[in-house]
Amino acid sequence: MQEDKKIIVLPERFLIEGVASAMNDIKGLNKDYPIEIDLKNTRFIDSAGIAFINYLKGNYPNAVFENLKPEIEKIFSMFPSHDSLEKDRKRKKTGISERIRFRRVAHSMEHGLEHGLEHLDVKLSDIRGNFKNFFVLLADEIYYTYQYFFQRRGIYPGEIWHQFFFMAYKSYPIVSVISFLVGVTIALTSAEQLRNFGADIYLADLVGFGMIRELVPLMTGIILAGKIGASITAEIASMNVLEETDALKTMGVIPEKFLMVPRLLAMTMAIPLLVVIADVVGVLGGVLVGKFFSEIPVRTFFDEMLRAVDLGDFLIGQMKTMVFGWIIVVSSGYKGFSVERSPAGVGVATTECVVLSISLIIVGDCIFALILY
Amino acid sequence: MNDIIQVEKLDVGYDGIVVLKQLNFTISKGDITVILGKSGCGKTTILKTLLGLIPPLSGDVAFFGEKIDFHSEKVLNKLYQRIGVLYQGGALLNSLTLYENVALPIKMQHPELPPQIEREMVYSRLAQVGLDESANKYPAELSGGMRKRTALARAMIMDPDIIFCDEPSAGLDPITAAGLDVLMRNLRDLFGITFVVVTHELRSIEKISDRALVLHKGRIHYFGDYKDLFTLKDPFIDTFFMKGEDHDY
Repeated sequence: MQEDKKIIVLPERFLIEGVASAMNDIKGLNKDYPIEIDLKNTRFIDSAGIAFINYLKGNYPNAVFENLKPEIEKIFSMFPSHDSLEKDRKRKKTGISERIRFRRVAHSMEHGLEHGLEHLDVKLSDIRGNFKNFFVLLADEIYYTYQYFFQRRGIYPGEIWHQFFFMAYKSYPIVSVISFLVGVTIALTSAEQLRNFGADIYLADLVGFGMIRELVPLMTGIILAGKIGASITAEIASMNVLEETDALKTMGVIPEKFLMVPRLLAMTMAIPLLVVIADVVGVLGGVLVGKFFSEIPVRTFFDEMLRAVDLGDFLIGQMKTMVFGWIIVVSSGYKGFSVERSPAGVGVATTECVVLSISLIIVGDCIFALILY
Repeated sequence: MNDIIQVEKLDVGYDGIVVLKQLNFTISKGDITVILGKSGCGKTTILKTLLGLIPPLSGDVAFFGEKIDFHSEKVLNKLYQRIGVLYQGGALLNSLTLYENVALPIKMQHPELPPQIEREMVYSRLAQVGLDESANKYPAELSGGMRKRTALARAMIMDPDIIFCDEPSAGLDPITAAGLDVLMRNLRDLFGITFVVVTHELRSIEKISDRALVLHKGRIHYFGDYKDLFTLKDPFIDTFFMKGEDHDY
């Protein structure tokens, strides 16, 4: 026989840990179904427990509350009813405001530019400590990212996608323009020389190979260091200065995980897309020069280029850019977290981050060239 | 055990420079303890040291009867689940709305909690500080006082045993500041929450304090019941509370 009402007896201490199971008890019940909440045993209730009761009051008109003790009633009186929540439901939810989110970053970048290079003199005695801290952060990030795949905690929901949007969607125009211009420049410079040897057709090999394997990864890395790296450093450094990272720590959140893992994963997702776009646009620049300057038909250009460039070259370009992307995120985080706690420190950290990222990218590129030679 | 914070022979400071030395005091459950002293005397430094944000130079701190190893992330994270902190500037995350800021500790510590309950909890706390109507705004759209009230809502959201407040009333209008004092007292009375408050606001100190910790010249000048402060004939305390004529300190 089916019960004519659902009776839930709350425990002596109705706390946050018990709320999910209480919610399970009412799961699937019709909103008009009579529910009796018996508080005869309940001597203490925390705010999650009160939220559960308020939720029932607001959503289940036939819910009744029995044996409510005066001390519990007094606690209830401190917590407002469901009204404000109802009002909010009717209100149109505003989207994420890019304007506000990045206003502070833009300000910090401006500040960074004012400071120039005068703060970049690093004492030799500090180098060892900095080197160690950089690799400690790198190791932490690898661990936290690995941990995140198995235990989906410690990161704000949706942050990875937000960062991905910022890194991919907001960066592709500048990456495209620069790649196109580099493609045109390389092609124009080479075309003149190749013509002297009657080897115009090899322009396709040169542009294809040079762009896909070398220049696109390098230029994308440098652009992202300036655009993404600087903004990550400025944001984290500002958070440090404004005690936001302290606040995260005292909420039991690890700032190095909360802030860095979404950015690292977003960069990992954004890089392949950006590289494909940059490859296509960069080669297009070369094709146009080939067509109008060296009079190489488009079809012939592509046939020749595909003879010189294979999938392996494309994948090497992808891999290099991915490594450069990770270098940018870790360098930015390192500079952001080690900022001197003053407004001026944000500018210095931002500048240092760009210089460090670009330097490491070029060193990395050189190492790749030696390995893949 | 009634003492929930015990501090013994604690030296605090930065980069090896001692700002406050040989601090000994205990904070009991349900007390509102105010930390007083002139600007720059190390009030916030004590707070940050107790929170594990600045490592102590020497000495011991015990919370809930257990000595804290400030170098252990695990120990600190366990401690952080039982405390809330209201920072001087609010320290809200500017990229999140007020709702998201207040919900952050729930999302991080109890991601399994149903979203309906999370919303109820967050709106209750925002309503307690008078900001439920602004839940979808960003911190940058608010005044300093509103940001601070949101930060208090965030500090309270997990029903902590202790709330540390760094200058809670600074920058607030008198009505909001008085409301905050009442809220603190109610939270103490109903939930037994212990407050450690760094403040300069004399009006607020009078309303909320059970115990007072007065810092002066790098040491504890007075620690005891707040009401006993006024029975002392102490020139520094007289000056601090403007009871007597000015002294040159």
